[in-house]
Amino acid sequence: MKAALEIKNLTKYYGDILGVKNLNLELKKGEIFGFIGPNGAGKSTTLRCIMNLINKNEGEIYINGILFDKDNIPLKEIIGYLPSEINLYEDLTVQEILNYHQSFYKKDFSKNRNKLVKLFKLDENKKIENLSLGNLKKLGIVLALMHEPEILILDEPTSGLDPIMQQNFYNLLLEEKKKGKTILYSTHVLNEVAKICDRVGIIKEGTLLKIEAIENLHKLNLFYITIISEDVNKIIKELKLNKYELNNNLIKFRNTIDINILLKELTKHKISKLLVEEASLEDIFLHYYK
Amino acid sequence: MFKREIKINLKSFILWTFILCSIFLVVFLIYPSLVKSDNMKMMDELMKVFPEDFLKSFNMDISSISTAFGWLQTEGLIFIYLVTGAFAAILGSNLILKEEDDKTIEYLNSLPTTRTKIAISKITAGLIYIIAMVLFIGLFNYIGLISSEDINDKIFFYLSLSPLLTSLVIFSLSMFIATFISKTKTMVGISLGIVFGSYILNILSTISESIEFLKYFSIFTLADTRNIIVNSSLNPAMLFISLSLTIMFLVLTLIKYNKKELV
Repeated sequence: MKAALEIKNLTKYYGDILGVKNLNLELKKGEIFGFIGPNGAGKSTTLRCIMNLINKNEGEIYINGILFDKDNIPLKEIIGYLPSEINLYEDLTVQEILNYHQSFYKKDFSKNRNKLVKLFKLDENKKIENLSLGNLKKLGIVLALMHEPEILILDEPTSGLDPIMQQNFYNLLLEEKKKGKTILYSTHVLNEVAKICDRVGIIKEGTLLKIEAIENLHKLNLFYITIISEDVNKIIKELKLNKYELNNNLIKFRNTIDINILLKELTKHKISKLLVEEASLEDIFLHYYK
Repeated sequence: MFKREIKINLKSFILWTFILCSIFLVVFLIYPSLVKSDNMKMMDELMKVFPEDFLKSFNMDISSISTAFGWLQTEGLIFIYLVTGAFAAILGSNLILKEEDDKTIEYLNSLPTTRTKIAISKITAGLIYIIAMVLFIGLFNYIGLISSEDINDKIFFYLSLSPLLTSLVIFSLSMFIATFISKTKTMVGISLGIVFGSYILNILSTISESIEFLKYFSIFTLADTRNIIVNSSLNPAMLFISLSLTIMFLVLTLIKYNKKELV
């Protein structure tokens, strides 16, 4: 089956500064793919390249197996895009921009538009220049979704949304997923990814480091061990630890040793405190970021 | 998209047209009383003491400011060229760059349209406003003039249309340069610089034969004013050059805009 969205060998430089390098990614139809990375990692650059908003140095984008260049109107019609910073015509009202948006599509989307406006509690008579950041974000979401796109490209969609609206938004995305929509979801809020994404791609300094299914990340079975003991230095030596945090008599490390061997070693020493923690998704991501 | 361009530029169109029409309205109102007095004849006499080159710069050697139409052929036309030129320059600078300055281009480009369509709708709106301004002012002046004096219709017709030859080139050149620039303010400065710089070159070229060549660097040479007044005709070469330059710059605008890095 053809990928709903495929990025091939994407490279983008801003002058001498690297945006993304040789990025390859395939999104299956009906999946929510989390695209995560710290600020400046190349997430927005990748998304803007997908949308052909900026020129690529190298690489191609395919939508349903068809090359997506900037003049491909039929493919543009089936994509919804939400930029991280929303800039709309400030002289228009919410209603006017929604009408303007509709005017680019042949099909009438008024039913879906009304549903979304109601869900996000938008006042259609308000001028865009008077909208708060949160309301502007909500309007951006409505614009990205109102034409019932097959593919959604979302760049930090929940920043500025209150928790209730965030939940509404997550529910909406899960509903869209059920309908078979494909979603590329860029964020640096890690628990969002855990909540709604099927797979995740971790990007750092313009390079896609890893692609993993969320359930596999949970299955990685990573543990953090914290020990308080007067013998910490001996323990480090015996366990042959390379990476650890040491603070007086406290040591914290990510456990890579078989738990039985570990316990056997530890019984040789006087231990004041032992804490075994399952690594959170955040720990796992930070592990890649560092 | 096109409707929006028309809507957002309407205010500026009305404002510029209003300024120009106000100047002419004042002239049309005061001229009949001036003409009846002896002052005007004295004024004509007074003009003769100025050097011929100076008079030539303002077309005063071939027309008299003792009538409103005479004034239009001299100082009035300068206002029309400069105001329509400035309007065309600002339009050409703003149409494309405002979206980039306001960053709304990201939204517009994500919609099912192409950059060519975006540029064409902006160009069309600009052309309509420039043509509308020239026609409106022409009509306004015609009504103003025929109510008080007899005028040569043919000369008036060509003179009224001549600002199109300059402002269309200024507009298309500004659009093209804007595809290399990212800030509206910078671009407005450049395009207005072209208008006023071009006008100064045109004036200088009439002052002395040794620097007459400067006229080849001035867009205002295309207006062909002296030929229209003297021969009651428009030089087809000027029309051809003006239209060719306009088309060439607009085509280059479309090509360059398609490759421009926008956000």
